[in-house]
Amino acid sequence: MFALLFQLPAHPARAQVSPDTFAIGWDSSPIDQINPMLTTLYDGGAWVISHIIYDKLVQTDSYGNIIPDLADNWTYTDPQTIVFSLAHNATWHDGVPFTANDVVFTINHVTANQALYPHIGQYVQNIASAQALDNYTVQIKLKAPDATFFSASLLQLVIVPQHIWASFTGNFSTFTDNPPIGTGPFKFVSWEANSYVQLDANPNYFRGAPHIKHLIIRYYNSVNAMVLALQSGEIDLTSPLLPPTVVSSLTSNPDIQVFTRPDLRYFYLTFNEFPNGTGNPTLRDERVRQALEHAVDKQELAQRVWLGFADVLNTVVPTALGSWHNPNTPDYVFDLNMSKKILDDAGYKVGPDGIRASPTGIKMIYNIDVPNDYSEEYRAAQIIAGWWSQIGVKATPRLMDSGSLGNEEAAWQHDVVLWTWSADFLDPAYFLSMFTTSQDTCVPGCLGDAGWSNATYDQLFTQQSQTTDTAKRQQIIYELQDILTAHAVYDPLYDNDAINGFRSDLFTGIPAGVIPPFFYFGENSLLLNVHPIGMAAQTSATSTESMTSTTSGAGVDLGTIGGIVVVIIVILAAGIFWTRRKKQPKS
Amino acid sequence: MGIGYAVNKLIQTIATIFFVLTFNFLLFRILPGNPFALLFRGPGFSRALVNQLNAQFGLDQPLWLQYLKYLQNTLIGNFGISYTYRVPVLSILVPRLLNTVILLLTATAISLVVGIAMGLVSAWRRGGKTDFAFSTSTLLLYSMPTFWLGLILLFVGVIYFGLPVSGMISLNGELTNPFALSSIVDLSRHMVLPCLTLVLGLTGEYVLIMKGALLDVFTEDYMLTAKAKGISNSKLLRDHALRNAALPMTTLIAINIGLAVGGAIQTETIFSWPGIGLLTYQALLTRDYPVLQGCFLVVAIAVILMNFLADLLYGYLDPRIRTG
Repeated sequence: MFALLFQLPAHPARAQVSPDTFAIGWDSSPIDQINPMLTTLYDGGAWVISHIIYDKLVQTDSYGNIIPDLADNWTYTDPQTIVFSLAHNATWHDGVPFTANDVVFTINHVTANQALYPHIGQYVQNIASAQALDNYTVQIKLKAPDATFFSASLLQLVIVPQHIWASFTGNFSTFTDNPPIGTGPFKFVSWEANSYVQLDANPNYFRGAPHIKHLIIRYYNSVNAMVLALQSGEIDLTSPLLPPTVVSSLTSNPDIQVFTRPDLRYFYLTFNEFPNGTGNPTLRDERVRQALEHAVDKQELAQRVWLGFADVLNTVVPTALGSWHNPNTPDYVFDLNMSKKILDDAGYKVGPDGIRASPTGIKMIYNIDVPNDYSEEYRAAQIIAGWWSQIGVKATPRLMDSGSLGNEEAAWQHDVVLWTWSADFLDPAYFLSMFTTSQDTCVPGCLGDAGWSNATYDQLFTQQSQTTDTAKRQQIIYELQDILTAHAVYDPLYDNDAINGFRSDLFTGIPAGVIPPFFYFGENSLLLNVHPIGMAAQTSATSTESMTSTTSGAGVDLGTIGGIVVVIIVILAAGIFWTRRKKQPKS
Repeated sequence: MGIGYAVNKLIQTIATIFFVLTFNFLLFRILPGNPFALLFRGPGFSRALVNQLNAQFGLDQPLWLQYLKYLQNTLIGNFGISYTYRVPVLSILVPRLLNTVILLLTATAISLVVGIAMGLVSAWRRGGKTDFAFSTSTLLLYSMPTFWLGLILLFVGVIYFGLPVSGMISLNGELTNPFALSSIVDLSRHMVLPCLTLVLGLTGEYVLIMKGALLDVFTEDYMLTAKAKGISNSKLLRDHALRNAALPMTTLIAINIGLAVGGAIQTETIFSWPGIGLLTYQALLTRDYPVLQGCFLVVAIAVILMNFLADLLYGYLDPRIRTG
């Protein structure tokens, strides 16, 4: 907002940071601890940082493909047994060699402490046993075949050093893990919670040392400050994403490259379909939901709410998941007459007040609740309410505290909710899991918020989770998406783009179209690829600096002048008013 | 008599602190949502995991039991373990308190000196051009929303003066000695913008109160008498006016220094200054009850203690109060 108000001159001096120091800004969930086992959603910052210090058995490249990390390669000896050959030359940051015992220790440690580690604990639930066959070979046995074992579990399971963690005797729920000793490409230097983390390149990293010497992650409390920091050179990359409103101010700066990719989340409308819920019962009627979905123009919403930086969705699997997203699922086209016809045919007649009512007399009056941490979506809810009013449905958008909204959903008291789901792994299972009967019909609620149940869906979902053949699994995943859309369980609206800015004048190596938020996936690939543009470029950058500083000194922009003039006029006007009023009684 | 007055005030102070303890506990639990209910929307989280965390931190117990435990722990100086940082609250509070005090005391001291001086000049030359200029400009700045003023200063300071955007120190990937001269210079550079924001916001209050208090005194009969006796202007101001105007200023200074400990939530948030204000803001977002309780308790105790001190000072400054 302010970035637009002020016509920013090109970047001033990049004073504090040396050219081989890469600094990343972060303005999302807090960085409140660095113990990789205790991190939760709220320390998403810490979570991704611990993935840079620590390694997993496998990782993803910048495009989301699973590639070796601590495991060089792996083979399935049967559908439930996997043998991993580990890297021979990996060492912990304190110099101790990494071996298979560390992997076994980590898995056993997490399994034994699942109560302490609610987040990471869920990823070992399907592991029956882990065994070191020799120093560099690990065999993992699963309780059941698991299609998501790599794409979900192993991508989250950071491997910790046995020689440090086994010697800690206190309570692991308050283990600070400071300094964290990992095997990753960057070593821990110092940190201040919710402020910054400083890391050094690990010259002995077993897949080759990074090109940058230092890595800094800096926490910002507002996106305005982060954008300003990118422009002033305090940081070189923003994360996890910027609002679309700042894009125009960044693209005008030749030193900054803006890149966008579909985000791994999507926005949707959910309807309270739970049979014992206290929301408006007309929403349990599939025809009503279909009529409501025909009365939402997703293209228009994406354009008006996200300025076009969003892709409309026909299913609940976002397009960022690539081939898992079913592009052929038929969607409900925007057609108000169709909506009216469906409702007329179903016996929902328009009353004298212009509001339709069910054959049993229940009026179609709904709240559309929006969580306050996505306040831009309130606008979407208002636009939707406008369309719905044209088909005889009265909808009231309400902005709610997300905690209260969560409680409302858990008690099945909501009507319609506009919210978002995001995944922390590159697999469609999470997005689809919340529609299974076990997750969607709990009191108080479990994961789902539609309260829908379907035996065929449940059976297919179980089937896909055990199908390790990708092509066969894809067919089932497509079918699951078809079922959900056909029954109008949700109205998936759009997945937004993750927009970020990068100092392309100082660094190079961010591949175009990396998976966002690139932090969760392919973070190592990305950070190993970034390198400073040589000294020649550095001096040219300095000369630009001196040029811009003279131009900005001479020509202060119109916005600032305008602002100052307005303030002066106000003061003068007030002054004249005051002096006149004071003089009157005297004369 | 003097001792009785102090003891009376002390008892009042302790009662207030106890009330604050209770209020702190209830206030955050009335807030909608709870620390872990917010989590379930996170990637890979479910309500079952949330229940597990609730049990781990005792949030599944009845409220009165939680309250008794909280009272018991606070009395022995145990502020609890933060839900998000997973370390004792005091170990987070103390360094943040230090950061806040550095910023806020500097700002308060500057605005106090500037504010008293401007208020004095305004009152002395009441109705004149200087008074008009001082009064309007400070009133304008005083009524400006801090976050707006802060953002404007941030943009201007960063773009035209090359000042740092956020935090207390520059990061170059290396550990620095906080007591080296270069570190102190660096800290001052980081302090310019937040300090300026605070000074601009705080000064107006001092100017207005100082001016108001002095104008009240100036209209008293004894001032006219003193003037008639031929006492010089400076002596008149020092011995007769300032002494009497000191009373409302003492209260204001005491309250402001007490509040200073609480940090300045908006200023610290805009400039990412890692103080108590920012800590409170972040703890509120994550509903970190122990940290919130700790922050509020520290602020409340600081304000109450400073008020207690002000009360005692009152007794010294104005003998009528000791008996009345």
